[in-house]
Amino acid sequence: MNVHYTVQAARPMLLVKGVPFHQWASPDGTLWTQFFRMGAGYLLRFPELADFEVSADGRSVKGWPALGVTPTTVEHLYLNQVLPLALSRQGELVLHGSAVDIGGQGVAFLGESGRGKSTLAASFATAGTRFLTDDGLLLKWVDGCCTIIPSHPSIRLWADSRAALVNERVSVAPAVSFTDKSRIFAGPGVAFCTEDRPLRHVYLLGNGEAQVPTINLLRPAAALVELVKHSFLLDIEARDMLVRHFDDLTRLAELPIYFWLDYPRVYEALSPVRELIARHVSPRKESKRK
Amino acid sequence: MARTVGDETVILDLANGTYYGLDPVGARMWQLMSEGNSLSAVCETMLDEYDVTREALADDILRLTDELLTKGLLVVT
Repeated sequence: MNVHYTVQAARPMLLVKGVPFHQWASPDGTLWTQFFRMGAGYLLRFPELADFEVSADGRSVKGWPALGVTPTTVEHLYLNQVLPLALSRQGELVLHGSAVDIGGQGVAFLGESGRGKSTLAASFATAGTRFLTDDGLLLKWVDGCCTIIPSHPSIRLWADSRAALVNERVSVAPAVSFTDKSRIFAGPGVAFCTEDRPLRHVYLLGNGEAQVPTINLLRPAAALVELVKHSFLLDIEARDMLVRHFDDLTRLAELPIYFWLDYPRVYEALSPVRELIARHVSPRKESKRK
Repeated sequence: MARTVGDETVILDLANGTYYGLDPVGARMWQLMSEGNSLSAVCETMLDEYDVTREALADDILRLTDELLTKGLLVVT
């Protein structure tokens, strides 16, 4: 599981022949990413920001910043957008989610953008429970056990979450040009787990309408739909990889580990949410009277 | 593309981002349709398998067919 990444010199956005085979849009509808075929590989274009050439096997990526774009911006795009897609091309299973280590068990959070995956991970990490990843959730089957592989030791937060959760002394990356989110680095005050962890529970985050923190079981079929929605797949037209991808997600969905989680989106609710999750993941066993 | 997980079936059209979950009865309808059976043949087969009236079953089959056609998950040949 390696991707060789190099950054090239900045250049104007070149004209690309042909039409993209796939596109992503931001929640407000603006074009975010275009996927082009380039020879046997791919070109991922983030308009006005950068191009990334991905090899056919996903093991090599070249980044081409647009003129005037900062290196931090390009790195941000690579880590959060391109790397998960390159890994998916290698056949790796990568979900768009965060994860934390609770008592040696991996606990993942999936959900639509803005549902609070990063804020929840940061809430755990700043309270001393180590996080495993903020965005690209890499999963592998190890000896029959689905395992979370730790990712980049940083969390991206909006300004209000950062102000509410993070100590001012925490290391922060320079700002990027396309988002107001800032990247905080693991270190003192932001606990990070460097070891692989078995996947214990997956929580799909609700829309914040719950009046109190609430957990409900998710049916396997519903879990499969959510896994499809929140998984990275670079080439959705490559039939063989699509079949394998769907088979991988089906195997994952068959595990009895999926739950809906909803809670009021106020910072005061995060502590009881953490406690609820911790109890749900590791319920105390009542001691039996002799 | 469809997969059965638990006792339900999920139909996926990744190109359109369309997903559709079917309960066991719907999954059986989908399976028979996917094998190229006419809607009347699907109805006759399922009447032998389920304790249901012909009218109720026909309504369910037509409703499911309409939903799948609308979502582009089924084509008429």
